[in-house]
Amino acid sequence: MEALLDRFRAAGTQVLGASVDSVYCHANWASSLGGISFPLLADFQPKGAAAQSLGLYLADKGITDRATVLIDREGIVRYAHSVGPGGRRDIAALAAECERIGGPVLPGPGTVAGTLFVKSKCGPSRAARLAVDNLHLAATITVRNVNDDPAARADLAGHGKDQAPCLVVGTKALYESAEIIGELARRTAPLPG
Amino acid sequence: MITPGTPAPDFRLTDHFGRSVSLAQFRGTCNVLLLFYPLDWTPT
Repeated sequence: MEALLDRFRAAGTQVLGASVDSVYCHANWASSLGGISFPLLADFQPKGAAAQSLGLYLADKGITDRATVLIDREGIVRYAHSVGPGGRRDIAALAAECERIGGPVLPGPGTVAGTLFVKSKCGPSRAARLAVDNLHLAATITVRNVNDDPAARADLAGHGKDQAPCLVVGTKALYESAEIIGELARRTAPLPG
Repeated sequence: MITPGTPAPDFRLTDHFGRSVSLAQFRGTCNVLLLFYPLDWTPT
């Protein structure tokens, strides 16, 4: 899927994944797959509510069907198909479906360069690190662990506070994981609209 | 399952980057391909 994102952008299509899992589960799973940069939505609370509104929630199993819905710019459903929970989607056929509708090309991923200071055994540090993986920023965001590396700790303190996680981009330092992740996503995988 | 030709009901959910994402925000801008799947740790 990730490999075909350019083709969907060219067809003026934003891809969104969704299941009943939490955002934390999504971030960990996506990272384990090598990174997913398109949004994975947590249809989590109340469980499956969005899927239910589209008729895709399997209430007896507590999961959503493996189903695909294509919605055009006017908000009209143009395609809806289930392959069943254990089935496989034909992503290339879906890309062709999107190309049939078409639309203005969506911008590709942006770039950001900087340093992410993290701590060991720290949930917010791990969350920030997962975002680096999911947004494919390993080449431009240097991750430094202040527990393993005294020089990193000194550099971190030099930016103002001995607090991690901390993202330094240019002269700006961010310390809250939600702000760090939001900044990385805003710069590199902004949503249209 | 929802029928092609009908309007999609709006929803607002949080993504794995902590962003609040609604279907309505894409209206007039782009198509949306929604990929529902049973659970994480299964193929998308």
